Amino acid sequence: MLEQLLIFTRGGLILWTCKELGNALKGSPIDTLIRSCLLEERSGDTSYNYDAPGVAYTLKWTFHNELGLIFVAVYQRILHLLYVDELLSMVKREFSQIYDPKRTVYNDFDDIFRQLQKEAEVRAEEMKKSKQVGKPVSNFSRRQGQATVQKAGSDGGSKQKDGAPAKDGGNGDSAKGRKLENGYSNGIGIEESVAAGVVKNINNGSSENGAFDVNKLQKLRSKGGKKTDTVNSVSKAEPKKKVSKKKRVWDDSSPASKLDFTDPVDERGDENIAVIADQGESMMDKEEIFSSESEDEDDDSEKETKDSAKKKGWFSSMFQSIAGKAYLEKSDLEPALKALKDRLMTKNVAEEIAEKLCESVAASLVGKKQASFTRISSTVQTAMEEALVRILTPRRSIDILRDVHVVKEQGKPYVVVFVGVNGVGKSTNLAKVAYWLLQHKISVMMAACDTFRSGAVEQLRTHARRLQIPIFEKGYEKDPAVVAKEAIQEATHNGSEVVLVDTAGRMQDNEPLMRALSKLINLNNPDLVLFVGEALVGNDAVDQLSKFNQKLADLSTSSNARLIDGILLTKFDTIDDKVGAALSMVYISGAPVMFVGCGQSYTDLKKLNVKSIVKTLLK
Amino acid sequence: MEGMEKWTNQLQQWLYQVEHWVHQTPASSLYVAIGVIFFTPLILLLISLFRRTKSNTIVLAGLTGSGKTTLFYQLRDGSPHLGTATSMEPNEGSFMLHSEFSKRGKIKPVHVVDVPGHSRLRPNLDKYLPQTAGLIFVVDAVEFLPNCRATAEYLYDILAKASLVKRKIHVLIVCNKTDKVTAHTKEFIRKQLEKEMDKLRASRTAISDADIANEFTLGVTGEAFTFSQCHNKVTIAEASGLTGDIAQIEQFIREHVKP
Repeated sequence: MLEQLLIFTRGGLILWTCKELGNALKGSPIDTLIRSCLLEERSGDTSYNYDAPGVAYTLKWTFHNELGLIFVAVYQRILHLLYVDELLSMVKREFSQIYDPKRTVYNDFDDIFRQLQKEAEVRAEEMKKSKQVGKPVSNFSRRQGQATVQKAGSDGGSKQKDGAPAKDGGNGDSAKGRKLENGYSNGIGIEESVAAGVVKNINNGSSENGAFDVNKLQKLRSKGGKKTDTVNSVSKAEPKKKVSKKKRVWDDSSPASKLDFTDPVDERGDENIAVIADQGESMMDKEEIFSSESEDEDDDSEKETKDSAKKKGWFSSMFQSIAGKAYLEKSDLEPALKALKDRLMTKNVAEEIAEKLCESVAASLVGKKQASFTRISSTVQTAMEEALVRILTPRRSIDILRDVHVVKEQGKPYVVVFVGVNGVGKSTNLAKVAYWLLQHKISVMMAACDTFRSGAVEQLRTHARRLQIPIFEKGYEKDPAVVAKEAIQEATHNGSEVVLVDTAGRMQDNEPLMRALSKLINLNNPDLVLFVGEALVGNDAVDQLSKFNQKLADLSTSSNARLIDGILLTKFDTIDDKVGAALSMVYISGAPVMFVGCGQSYTDLKKLNVKSIVKTLLK
Repeated sequence: MEGMEKWTNQLQQWLYQVEHWVHQTPASSLYVAIGVIFFTPLILLLISLFRRTKSNTIVLAGLTGSGKTTLFYQLRDGSPHLGTATSMEPNEGSFMLHSEFSKRGKIKPVHVVDVPGHSRLRPNLDKYLPQTAGLIFVVDAVEFLPNCRATAEYLYDILAKASLVKRKIHVLIVCNKTDKVTAHTKEFIRKQLEKEMDKLRASRTAISDADIANEFTLGVTGEAFTFSQCHNKVTIAEASGLTGDIAQIEQFIREHVKP
């Protein structure tokens, strides 16, 4: 049984709720749905799970884009209701016939809804019975509406997609598990999911896929291994020809020649390191002057993509654009969306993210009336641009200086922890952030909690000496969580306003290292967890961020798990216009990009310019 | 060649006729005619200019969940209907206030815009500011303290916008949800907001220009911030969207949109 079904406008007014299902919803699932899903451009998902103390709801929705209405159905997650999608589409059809923008009361809809609900339940019963008998899939698709046939196709496709490398984060897994759940038209092997106790079955399904993939991965790895062996044998042949280097022999005899190549003065280290003079303003404080590309360039590139399309298609779309009467159908949007998705992917946006974005834009455009004198591609382009600006605009204030002041009043230092995988530039960018803070007259202290990598502590020590700020270090092979705790205590003593904690790089799959990281965060409860990601990363960005977030959430001891609060995007100067990594990271984690590292000197730290990134992505 | 000659001949004839007519008519009527021709467009231009500066838009802004959409529907229909959800788009409407429905007669309709408060949808506000006659900033009086900082930041951003300050638009801060027992008083809210904005002033001016779009700095340097220091008028009122206690809001609207 449904908990509730609501109809409301995009402006927020609730037009109709079912009075029979009078249960008041616990918590605020609708508002959470809007804030975390629809406004985050995830409206292409099939359903949304809401968890609050005492309740677990699943929400499904559909839009009527032309009238600006949203239909949401809420039901308990343990009940597996099959008829919800169908019911929603029927309700949408019936309601749009009686909808009038001036009316705000729709009591006559109650009877219609009761009828529709009965119909839908009856159909669900029939479906269950026939599934148990084991009838073929075609019967189902014939009996159900058009929308569900499309879903069957897409679910079949998604099932095959699941076979592909299951490097999904938590989000990806549960989303696909839900897709399996909703694929009630696929009779094959999903009969289990019909029964209650869906959760277990989702795990079974994904673990099956997982087992399959590990085998696949092992096969691939062995194949790869063979390949590298052959490459090595080839390369070994070559050095035999050029004998320029002498092989070093490590035996007990004392070395003949000098092996220590370090500068004798540097051994003591202290005097040689020059204190940097003021290198000028950090780029954080400079106005961004980005070139305003002329609009002609955009039109040219658009024309190119259009030429590649069929001539007939162009002519009919021109005709339609002048007439402008057609309601946009999904099939109309397909080619434009596909072109847009390919363009995004050439700009280094992760494939999964581009796909989800296109689905979300499609969901918001289907059924809308096409304005006259507009091409479909330009409508799609504007919608996508709005969506991108919405995603990249920070959800909360990223004013770090203000946060520092707030925390200072409470007498504690502001703690920032830099996390990320190996080699993305954590230590370098930590120094840049320290420089920027120093320019704003804030006292900074560094904490060297990378106790694993050789030279990490020395690296930070050099930066600290050049910037003339205190550094807290305990050498190597110590527990980073404890080092961080002591560093914060030290900062409280000597009155430093900010503590920048450097951690060791770690792969997102490495369980013990992720456990250590989450211990550090739990123990010290930092004010800002900054994920450092490089702009060169491709599809792996999605995996990195989702796994980091998942591990931080799973292994946290308190009820309020600390997740990634912000992103620091590095090596931005190495990519010309392939700026898609920023979009992938922001989309998958919901955290704003707080800094952008664009070079290797202290002043190379910028803010993210949303408009220029969106322009570059859609060029 | 002949055609050309014909044309020139005809032209000369016309010119001669016009000259003749000009000499015939008395000077005064001629001057009057010229005057009318020149002054009418000038007068029309002036009228249109005056009309444009007199806008009748009231904008409702505030954090998400503060009750703007409820207030919008109270103003329009006198009841919040079945309730509201988080707005994803602005609500616009040109109507007569519900309470004034009884007073028939020539009352000018008010154009009210309810701008979503969700931080991702903030850019919507800038679209409506140029035509604003008055801005209502809605504050949730019940959940005030947890959101105090965010409220102060949003209010600071609005009060520092150039289009608001230059045109001296009156801002009314409404403490909504006063029907609840745990609602704070408007004096308390005012003091808290002034304190927060004072702190914001310190940190915002420390940041350089590239960071934010604050075109003006608020208040007087060296003194604690109070709303009376703002160039445009800022007042505080109380209201309750659910029960319909919106008299002060309606008074504000009527002040700025003359009937």
